[in-house]
Amino acid sequence: MGKIAPVTGAERRDVKIPVEDRLFSLVLALLATETGLLKAEILSTVRGYAEKYDPHGSNANLERQFERDKDEVRELGIPLETVESPDRPGDNQALRYRIPKGQYDLPDEVRFTPDELALLALAGEVWRGASLSEDSRRALTKIRGLGIEPREPVIGYAPRLRVREAAFEPLRTALDRRQRVRFAYLKPGETAPRERRVDPYAVVLHEGRWHLHGRDVDADGLRTFLLSRIVGKVDVVPGATFAPPAEGIQDRILAELDELRLSNVADLAVTAGSDAEVRLGKRAVLGDEDAGVIRLHYTDVAVFADELAAYGPEVRVLTPPDLRDAVRDRLRLVAETHAARDPRGAR
Amino acid sequence: MTQRRAALRAPDKLVFLLSLVPYLIEQQVVTVAEAAAHFGSTDEQIRDAVRLIAMSGLPGDTGTYQSNDLFDIDWDAFEEHDEIVIVHHVAIDEAPRLAAREAAALIAGLQYLAALPENADSSALASLTAKLRAGASATPSGLAIAEPVADSSLALIREAITGGRQLEFDYLNARGEAGRRRTDPLRMLSQDADWYLQAYCHTREDVRNFRVDRMSELEVLDFPVGDHADLDVPETLFQGSSSDLDVVVDVAAEALPLLADYLADSSTQEVDGRLRVTLRLAHVHGLKRLVSGLPGLVTVVAPADARQVVAEWAAAGLQGYDEASVR
Repeated sequence: MGKIAPVTGAERRDVKIPVEDRLFSLVLALLATETGLLKAEILSTVRGYAEKYDPHGSNANLERQFERDKDEVRELGIPLETVESPDRPGDNQALRYRIPKGQYDLPDEVRFTPDELALLALAGEVWRGASLSEDSRRALTKIRGLGIEPREPVIGYAPRLRVREAAFEPLRTALDRRQRVRFAYLKPGETAPRERRVDPYAVVLHEGRWHLHGRDVDADGLRTFLLSRIVGKVDVVPGATFAPPAEGIQDRILAELDELRLSNVADLAVTAGSDAEVRLGKRAVLGDEDAGVIRLHYTDVAVFADELAAYGPEVRVLTPPDLRDAVRDRLRLVAETHAARDPRGAR
Repeated sequence: MTQRRAALRAPDKLVFLLSLVPYLIEQQVVTVAEAAAHFGSTDEQIRDAVRLIAMSGLPGDTGTYQSNDLFDIDWDAFEEHDEIVIVHHVAIDEAPRLAAREAAALIAGLQYLAALPENADSSALASLTAKLRAGASATPSGLAIAEPVADSSLALIREAITGGRQLEFDYLNARGEAGRRRTDPLRMLSQDADWYLQAYCHTREDVRNFRVDRMSELEVLDFPVGDHADLDVPETLFQGSSSDLDVVVDVAAEALPLLADYLADSSTQEVDGRLRVTLRLAHVHGLKRLVSGLPGLVTVVAPADARQVVAEWAAAGLQGYDEASVR
């Protein structure tokens, strides 16, 4: 019972089938079946498994291999289905696996013009590093399978968007898998980070900052977090999944952030000829050049105060008072921590 | 197209195989070189994939992979003429759907490109996005990018690049020096929210990166750009030089990624709960802005004069508020 015949096993394992060969054979076999294949059928006949299959053994390793392959295939957007036996519900050995062709094929209406293909290639170029560039590359490979020749690539551009927040990758994966996460969050105005448990609904980039929007489980309400204020690791809360959020929630949250931005107005005095005048001036909604005053919208007091502090004496906040105080406090902090004394003594 | 030689991981190879098959069926006859150009792969990657496809198929009723259950190609055409002809196919004939996260990555990339002058027609982007959504096997996950603020300078720069004409503009550099620059524009780079023009500067007689938001009074001239084929145009925005300044700072761990562009090396040392790292910057003017924009997160340790410049910058800013409160 459960014993593996060592000689046959070793012989069988001599046959080396590359991973992509096994995965390809698995996808073909599951696409070709209507009723689905039993796990035992897959392991004993599909190339890449069959060579290692032991009709008298437990095949536990091979089964684990199959479980991993299944996940891998699904991650690629291939709709690998599990069908329960109507006669033997709940029986794992009676489960059947298949890939319905209608849900596998790229729908007929999804065809691209040569111009669109060139633009998509540029969109894929935007991402540097991380899973986003890998995902873009795979999407473009699939689209090239349609056989449409792109127009000449869009020249003269090298657009790049980087994601520097370490929290981004785990959050994006959790978002995709609808897993609850846990992380320490340092809210502006608080001195110590506090643990949050969140069902992630959307990750959006607004005003150059990545935000997470989701349901704060403990507060039982919708919250938006800045990724740059997440301290340390983002962990998945095992076993806790949640219902999909409303479609287009990411666009709604961007609209909300925009509304918030428009409701916040700051008047700034900028030094003539300075970096602040040139760069902030480009974003001004109103400006009085003679007085050297510009009016800008902003989303978050703390974030905007950080940005303004960088300009040092080139900019001075006239209103609102909370922004004014925030910038002054930041400048004071920088001045104090850099005051002329032993850095070890600085607090 | 350049031959990309990066080694692919198994899932990437699987996607490649599943995409190559419908392409080959559709083309009926195609050379290895054409297929490689289409997919941006190497010739050898195409040949390996074709060999694998030709040996693949279904286990069939008997579970023994009989020839009728396998793909077949015209082997003579393949081995003698480097041509691919699929003569029998099984199970697949269409390109696979996109994964939700794959579609989401491209959609977000397109949203970022909305700032480009040629994408001013947002309906084209909207229809492209709708196609990507329709082509995904599940609703693309909630990833979105706010439409970046389009700087009106971008359209003029684009005009100069595509027309091969010189571009003149007022420029205020990071040191605070203003002046009129005459350039041969080469290409536009962006990094996150910031756009840069990479151009041959007639004044400096070398390639320079210009921040678009520091440019004003742009003018596309009627003079053609020179031939710069021999110029070494750097791929990255930030290049170190011998005149650079090394600065030791203590940084809060969570803020370290924000300094990634400036790290002189990868060494870090823990000091009083913070990380001590060395930054490399072109000059102290960049440093004072960088450190003041990360208040409380970064403290300059050495050299002393760099520390003093930061202190004076912040103190000067602070003084504006003290005077104002007296007034």
